[in-house]
Amino acid sequence: MSTRALLLFILTLMWAFPSLADPNEEKEREQKHFSSTVRPILHGQCGDCHNAVDSKAGVNLVRFDFIVHIVQNGKLFMKVIDEIESGHMPPNTRPPLSDSEKDTLLIYLKKYLDDALAEPDPGLIPPRRLSNREYRYSVYDLLGVELNTDSLLPADASGGSGFDNQASTAYMSPLRLERYFELAEMAVEEVYADPQKWRSLVPAYVPTGWTRFLVWWEQVWNQKDISFEGPQQIARESISSFATLAYRKFLETEEQEQLMELFATIYKAETDSADRLDRSIKEVFKSILISPKFLYRQERDLPIEKSYPLTNFELATRLSYLIWSSIPDWELLQVAYLQDLHNPKILEAQTLRMLDDPRSARMAENFATQWLEIDKLKRPDFRMDPDKFPDYNGVLRDLMYEEVVAYFDYVFRESQNLLELLNSDYTFLNQQLADHYGLVGNFSEKIERTCLDSPDRGGLIGMGAVLTATSLPERTSPVLRGKWVLEQILGTPPPPPPPDVPELETAQGSHDDLGLRKLLELHRADPACAGCHKDMDAIGLGLENFDALGKWRNTYQNQVSIDPHGRLKSGEEFAGPGMLKEVLEEKKALFAQNFSERMLSYSVGRSVGFYDSPTTHKLRQVLLETDFHSVSFLLALVNSFPFRHKKTEPEYI
Amino acid sequence: MKKSWHISRRRMLKGLGACVALPVLDAMIPAGLSAKTFWEWERVKRIAFMFMPNGVHPDKWTPEGQGTDFHLSPILQPLTPFKNDLLVLGELMNQNSWRTKDGHYTKTANFLTSMRLTNTAGANVNAGGVSVDQIIANQIGDQTLFPSLQYGVDRVRSGVDLAVNLTRLYGSAISWKSPTQPIAKEINPRMAFDRLFRPFVPGKPPIKENPHKKSVLDLVMQDAKSLQKGMGVGDQNKLAEYLDAVRSVERRLDNQDSLKDFEAQITPDVKKELVRLDQRIDEYVDQTAGIDITERVRLMFDIMALAFWSDATRVTTFMFGNSVSSRNFSFLDGVSGSHHGVSHHKNDPRLMSQYEIITRWHIEQYGYFLSRLASIKEGDHSLLDNSMVMFGSGLRDGNRHSPHNLPIVVAGKGGGTLATGQHLTFAEDTPLANLYLTMLHGMDVSTERFADSERVLHEIVC
Repeated sequence: MSTRALLLFILTLMWAFPSLADPNEEKEREQKHFSSTVRPILHGQCGDCHNAVDSKAGVNLVRFDFIVHIVQNGKLFMKVIDEIESGHMPPNTRPPLSDSEKDTLLIYLKKYLDDALAEPDPGLIPPRRLSNREYRYSVYDLLGVELNTDSLLPADASGGSGFDNQASTAYMSPLRLERYFELAEMAVEEVYADPQKWRSLVPAYVPTGWTRFLVWWEQVWNQKDISFEGPQQIARESISSFATLAYRKFLETEEQEQLMELFATIYKAETDSADRLDRSIKEVFKSILISPKFLYRQERDLPIEKSYPLTNFELATRLSYLIWSSIPDWELLQVAYLQDLHNPKILEAQTLRMLDDPRSARMAENFATQWLEIDKLKRPDFRMDPDKFPDYNGVLRDLMYEEVVAYFDYVFRESQNLLELLNSDYTFLNQQLADHYGLVGNFSEKIERTCLDSPDRGGLIGMGAVLTATSLPERTSPVLRGKWVLEQILGTPPPPPPPDVPELETAQGSHDDLGLRKLLELHRADPACAGCHKDMDAIGLGLENFDALGKWRNTYQNQVSIDPHGRLKSGEEFAGPGMLKEVLEEKKALFAQNFSERMLSYSVGRSVGFYDSPTTHKLRQVLLETDFHSVSFLLALVNSFPFRHKKTEPEYI
Repeated sequence: MKKSWHISRRRMLKGLGACVALPVLDAMIPAGLSAKTFWEWERVKRIAFMFMPNGVHPDKWTPEGQGTDFHLSPILQPLTPFKNDLLVLGELMNQNSWRTKDGHYTKTANFLTSMRLTNTAGANVNAGGVSVDQIIANQIGDQTLFPSLQYGVDRVRSGVDLAVNLTRLYGSAISWKSPTQPIAKEINPRMAFDRLFRPFVPGKPPIKENPHKKSVLDLVMQDAKSLQKGMGVGDQNKLAEYLDAVRSVERRLDNQDSLKDFEAQITPDVKKELVRLDQRIDEYVDQTAGIDITERVRLMFDIMALAFWSDATRVTTFMFGNSVSSRNFSFLDGVSGSHHGVSHHKNDPRLMSQYEIITRWHIEQYGYFLSRLASIKEGDHSLLDNSMVMFGSGLRDGNRHSPHNLPIVVAGKGGGTLATGQHLTFAEDTPLANLYLTMLHGMDVSTERFADSERVLHEIVC
């Protein structure tokens, strides 16, 4: 190609893609176009009802003056696009948009969002302090010691999607750090007190006759003290192994030397003690357990704008905290060191291996209980009114809790069909729980999988823990239960109630059970409440056959019979839990989307944003196309872009 | 010169026993000062902030009468013994607490910051500013073993409250070290006690301080710094929390002087109290399985009073509950519901009377704390005289989440700063931050503004 031809080619390119010439100029032009053409429609037509004073459905569209703001609120604008496309907005009662206005809005809003998604974005994740549970499991896997972190550590806060492993709300404070000191002390001393356990971490140092001779020889003939060398060797090996597991990576030479220096300092100070070697190693172990390299999951930052793949060790760590809520094991670390964990085949092999390990049951304990909000049953301040529910006690609570955990674990790992979370013909129980549920027959002492005759019980919404967690201390709450199903199962939370509306649900004593359905109907007669309460109340009333502890009942105590009929806005009708579950199964696309978002949020430790929609969409499709195959889903998740990448926060604040 | 007094005062206290005001030895007092002025001079001021969730019964709170001539309202009756130590302040409002969103959370996290919080259900938690207690702690905290102490009775609540789409964390913290970092509160009486006093209870196995702690701290400090290298700004901030925490532990370890000072403060009288309290905590755990909330609150208050007395800290905060607290108060006669439930009384007289009883219970506990402080003598004054103890809620009528005319009381003369014994009604919607500004000045923190403050409340200043 001649120089002229090349020049011409470049010029043609610049003409065809002006953005290549100057992306900033292009952005400016687009913003101007937005201000002059798109914004007037948004602020005018839509803004009539969606403004700061009158924000219908809690939406204010007048505050968006820049394209960046539209992108930042991408989720909202997806909904806006949806509403306009489907013709729901503007409503019949308002003047319609002209065809050209409608086109302008739809074309450009979509373009802004599409452009924003063109480049995959892994989101920002600051260093993640281990959550209390993760800390407990990590210490257990390192030392075999079970710590009571619930009472010894300040409770975790949780931001974002309600998981306690969310990076930015995992705070540190002097109080918490002091506790880490104490816990490290407790854990290491406990292992140390058990010679068998201790020796599995630190081999005994027994110098041979020959070694003793050498030490003596060097001392006498060369004035050299080599007595430190043997112990040092033992220390180096035990400390390196321990720190490698704790820091979740192979150590740099410098890191190792720092630890050995600490060892040497202590060893030299401990001259008086007979077991100075063990004592010194013990102290180094404690320091490892309070090091930020253990307490925080830190992923390196590269000084570049674009996102970049995690190192193998970092990816291994994300994987092990997702599946085991704990540190990687030796095999995973070795694979991370020797092979490329980003290779889908290798990642798959490791994921499947880890899923086979009993430690993966922790995912059910950690993820499911938080997602379903039943972890609140275990909070010390959770109470059921003892006069109304004398049956409720710690034993029953633990059984109900265990039912959900065992069930989730079974669905995820054995049956591998996540749709069974919504509906199935089995559950996990023992004699006591079966008695509580009113099932007739002989059941085992231990909780185990049991097939059910009735279609009402199998699935999450028939479980005691869920039904109790969504009740009030004194009685059931159809609104809370309905809200829970919309939020936690379908991922379609109702908007917040308008200000100054008294909360019906918490106004106890003002009505008895007889009036419940009636009162809710009254409530829905108010158009301000009806829109959202219609579905909430219908679902909740459909579950009224379960009392506040999940016991089956056909009538209220005053013998008024329970009417579990309901009808959703979308038209589906049902009577009772069995049919309600079938209705939910029909809404499996919503469930798939919601489950994908929750699991993604849990796995990367941050809230899910608009920029995640390509990922969550893909995950949802995997669920829908594989009949909700859990393992395919998990593999898609760990292979997803945000799970394997990170980016550095730009230097502005 | 002032420094040497400081030490002699500590020695003196050690010898004296803080309950008995023995004559001060002349040799210890600089020439020209009588014993009385010596105490005046050396009055150490303490400050506490108490938060109550869910507001108050709006008609049963405000006292009758104005200025020094007033009658305590039904809810405030339990404070009768302290009427002359009180300031009941009407019509204060935290303006930045209610313009973002309705509900409880926006009136809790910024109860002490008076700034607007970031409207978020996600991770970018931000209370708008540093809370007033922390500003004081930053100024005077280095004079005590602990710059400040945070107490409460409920665990941090997790998750998002989808009714208002805000993180529940906002309802669980009033102390903010930085706008983005709430401070964890201690909720367990046993652990709270042991943290401060365990070494001083005879017969308890002492906590063996690890002789290598210093070397260990050096190493982890090094680790944190090496991690911070090459990190983005946000990431560095996260690790800065860790570094801060290590430094504060290190400071206590290094600062043998302040440890000695603290030990010197554990006089035989304090020790007697410690032993008694230690037993009560044991009994509490054994006998009531830690359920009795009245006793739990009182144990925390006893610990706080002892922390003030022994000068372990001069700044504390306390939360009676997280916002929207649904604590079941049916243990009180005449109450059958949960706190939040009852607070939405819909003007139903039966619920309103329960609401009143619950609020009154809170005031009774507050009164208990005041009585503890009042019973402890420091020279011619009581510990209460040397303290400012604010009690309040982020909303008035819980039924309407009303942010106006907040229920606010301050007790104690703040070491001679506050003109107590008054009920004052300010102009409508006077910034609550004015009170904080006044209290900051009372603690000798010189600043011209705090959040949206407009002026010092000179009406309450001596």
